[in-house]
Amino acid sequence: MNRSIFTNLAVALILILVQVLICNHIMLFNVAVAFVFIYVIVSMPMSMKVDWLLTIAFFMGLLVDMFSDTAGLNALACTVLAFVRRPVLFAYISKDDHTKAVTPTVRSLGFSVYAKYLFTLSLIYCALVFILEFFSYAAFREIAIMTGASSLFTFLTLLALDSLIVAKQ
Amino acid sequence: MRNILNFILKYSRWFVFVIYASISIILLVVNKNYQQSIYLTSANVVTGSVYETWSAVTGYFHLKSINESLQARNAELQNEVLNLSSRLREYQAALSDTIPTPTGERFDYVAAGVVNNNTHHPLNYFTINRGARDGVATGMGVVDQNGVVGIVNVAGPKMARVISLLNEKQHFSVKIKGTTFVGSFWWKGGDPNIGYVEEIPRHATYQIGDTIVTSGYSTAFPEGIPVGVIVSKVNARDNSFFTFRIKLASDFRTINAVRVIKDIYKAEIDSLATHDINESK
Repeated sequence: MNRSIFTNLAVALILILVQVLICNHIMLFNVAVAFVFIYVIVSMPMSMKVDWLLTIAFFMGLLVDMFSDTAGLNALACTVLAFVRRPVLFAYISKDDHTKAVTPTVRSLGFSVYAKYLFTLSLIYCALVFILEFFSYAAFREIAIMTGASSLFTFLTLLALDSLIVAKQ
Repeated sequence: MRNILNFILKYSRWFVFVIYASISIILLVVNKNYQQSIYLTSANVVTGSVYETWSAVTGYFHLKSINESLQARNAELQNEVLNLSSRLREYQAALSDTIPTPTGERFDYVAAGVVNNNTHHPLNYFTINRGARDGVATGMGVVDQNGVVGIVNVAGPKMARVISLLNEKQHFSVKIKGTTFVGSFWWKGGDPNIGYVEEIPRHATYQIGDTIVTSGYSTAFPEGIPVGVIVSKVNARDNSFFTFRIKLASDFRTINAVRVIKDIYKAEIDSLATHDINESK
């Protein structure tokens, strides 16, 4: 079930383009943004070395930052996301020979565990991005609303994306 | 030595994490100041050409409304030309024996297209498809058919990044049209149609609906370019000044065709300003 490096690279490039050309320009009800490109980080196989994942995540974030003129913002959030991904997954599922190298999808983890894993990571990502960007400009309540709405929107989009990509294989 | 190496290898993820996180934090902090390298902005070669290609597709979306506002602006300018030329004839008839003063144009315009635009960040920027090669440089004002839209921040060879009016760090000098009451424009985030004008002196006379225009006190904009229209007065903390809520003249969600303003005297004015500072030291 492991996707090849080239498929991963193609998916990453497409998702980054979708993010910077479309999703970054859509803010639903003025509060919700979908961060689709973090799917690449979320869905990498657990067998991948964390050092590599951190590197990929950092440069992906940096690329998105260049496009959206937010140098460092997405890079930091992606780095943190890549770092906490493993502890988050193993908080919801026990570590064994199978799960240690699993590629997180609905099919491999089951809906309940996958949904919890995905929502937690969306929430962490959105909270980081909105706190870092709006900290000195907006009230706590506004940041909380944007974080909540965006993590829900991101979660639903990623869930749809996952069923789309997994169904194709 | 071996122990140290083993230790680093065993906990390598922590080291890698700390390194990337620190680089990101440094970039974040540097980004808060305006001066930064062009490679990390949307004006660099890669992002610039991606946005340019994409805007070739999406550029058609708002053509109808842009066309309408251009038509309206055109009619307005035509009226003004007729008015001015009739007045010029009057003056020429009255003062036919005086020597004409050589005025010459002070401002020059570069037409540009917006290839990327954002309105929902606290610090918004947009990217235009003209750069240093076309004479665009940092600090130049940018206007569209309706009024002021921003100031050039970073200029690459073919692309430039412009600080949008919708940027909480951007302040510039404005006044109430037809008066000398000068204040400072500020966008406070949120609604991309609403801005604020602060520090208008308390004795200023105004009416709701008055136009706010550029003051001409900077080299970025000539005097009298529309910024917005007064919607209401805001109760300020400081009683010696008025603060107004204004509706912005330009619709930032659909800006598409803009002009960059070159001030021919900019170098001269700037050198005078630095001269003054050096003298007073």
